[in-house]
Amino acid sequence: MLAGPAMTWLFVFTIVPVAMLTVISFWSSTAYGIKPDWTLDNYRTIFGNYVYVGTFLRTLRIAGVTTLLTLLAAYPMALVLSRLRGATKTIVLLLVFLPFWTSYVVRSFLWLPMLGRNGLLNFLLLKAGIIARPVEWFIYNEGAVYVGLVYAYMLFMFLPIYQSLDKQDRKLEEAASDLGATPIQAFRRVVFPLSLPGVFSGCTMVFLFACGAYVTPQILGGASTMMAGNVIGSQFQISNNWALGAALSVTLMVTVVACFALSAWRQGLQLFAGARQ
Amino acid sequence: MMTLSRSSGSRSSRWSIARAAYIAAFFAFLYVPMLVLCVLSFNDSAVVGFPLRSFTTNWYRDALASGVLIDALWNSARLGVASAFIGTALALMAVLGLRGSPGIKAAVLPLIVLPIIMPAIVTGVIMLIFFGLTGIKFGLFPTTFIVHVTWVLPFAFLSLYPRLEGFDRSIEEAAMDLGARPLTVFGRIVFPLIRPAVISTLLFAFTLSFDEFVRTFFVIGSQRTVPVHLWILVTEEVAPFLPAVGVIIMVLTLTIAALGFASSSIGSARASRLWSAKEFAS
Repeated sequence: MLAGPAMTWLFVFTIVPVAMLTVISFWSSTAYGIKPDWTLDNYRTIFGNYVYVGTFLRTLRIAGVTTLLTLLAAYPMALVLSRLRGATKTIVLLLVFLPFWTSYVVRSFLWLPMLGRNGLLNFLLLKAGIIARPVEWFIYNEGAVYVGLVYAYMLFMFLPIYQSLDKQDRKLEEAASDLGATPIQAFRRVVFPLSLPGVFSGCTMVFLFACGAYVTPQILGGASTMMAGNVIGSQFQISNNWALGAALSVTLMVTVVACFALSAWRQGLQLFAGARQ
Repeated sequence: MMTLSRSSGSRSSRWSIARAAYIAAFFAFLYVPMLVLCVLSFNDSAVVGFPLRSFTTNWYRDALASGVLIDALWNSARLGVASAFIGTALALMAVLGLRGSPGIKAAVLPLIVLPIIMPAIVTGVIMLIFFGLTGIKFGLFPTTFIVHVTWVLPFAFLSLYPRLEGFDRSIEEAAMDLGARPLTVFGRIVFPLIRPAVISTLLFAFTLSFDEFVRTFFVIGSQRTVPVHLWILVTEEVAPFLPAVGVIIMVLTLTIAALGFASSSIGSARASRLWSAKEFAS
């Protein structure tokens, strides 16, 4: 009974809008608004047009590469931190958290003055005499989007991995080395396999967030690196094609929820245990 | 034997150099962009970027001059307080209703976490359609407020549920047996015990709302919260005082988050003291 108000709220403001979205995705857009004429045209447009199919494939690729890069950047730090003790540990942990306590939009545009024409990178390279004039291709391309996304989502990868490494019993590692394992063998055969649940939740979170990215590709990406989120946004803000936008949203939503359901089915819903603490 | 130990020694020193280099690179990646923004916010140049010219605080004056930033801060603050309170209250009721019946909880959990799983852009779009078709006027209240409550509610639920799950219900049952009404039991027994958790959840919900951008952007109409203001400055106005606005927002969000962190760590310390006292008593 007490759960009623929350469930009603979530039903009215999540399930009902999703239902509306799904319905509209089968309507068509006219100059005067949307028309309820039940058609598959929007989905035909999406799956028959290499621009839209390409956008979805690119979105999945960017999300996949971002996940991998974030994992490579965050895992060693999680390992280093889980081996620290006492005050040092607390301080370094706070240093990792601190940037993620700042606003998300701030975090996303921080790389403009780093990679832009008048940015730090160009300035330093000019000073060092490595380049003669400012380089334009540091920004507004896929590489810049990766930098921005890794920067934005690092903590979501770091946290679950750190938690799974931190709770490991160090005696297991000692036992492995007593039995003659080199540190690398102990890591490969004992520490890493035991941290896999954390790796798995971190990868799921980062992949999901990256699939729905909107801000970072809009600020740091170029016309050729627009992701699904940007294409959806422009249907509502620029071309005013709600029906097509709805069908694109349904496609993205189904992709993302399917990915999540797949990993939740493997992991249980403990995925959120480490989310945003 | 000697060569062996020497070679392993040099390998381990190379290893520790690599480790130090990695740690330095990691923190440089995190902090250099933030430092650059701070430095540029004091740079007396109409172009956002290098080279550095003379020191000025004029960009801070300009950032605050128009009053738009102050308005956006006020909007974000009241939106954050309202959605944190309503979202946490709804979540708390749901937690109280669902604890003790894990079957029902498991059944409704997908509905509860759905707003977190849904891509932000899709939530923005569905709410735009929803309010557009039902004819509700876009603005801070009610449209953005509704979207923010939906956004913070699942996080509040996930943050409160673990703290009430292991709760010893015999105390409540004892109070009931002694004739206390359910509301009295909640006010006198349950709430005092979970108050630290509720306070840290409120702060957490506030920071979520304060930071929310994509969902907000599609339903806020012509009003501005802090992230919306910053977004418009970045994408449309490209104002030279942009770094100053960024630094102001960075400092504010850091302060709020630090408060939240402090309160939640005090809260959990208190809670663990409570539990150890309980263990000792039993």
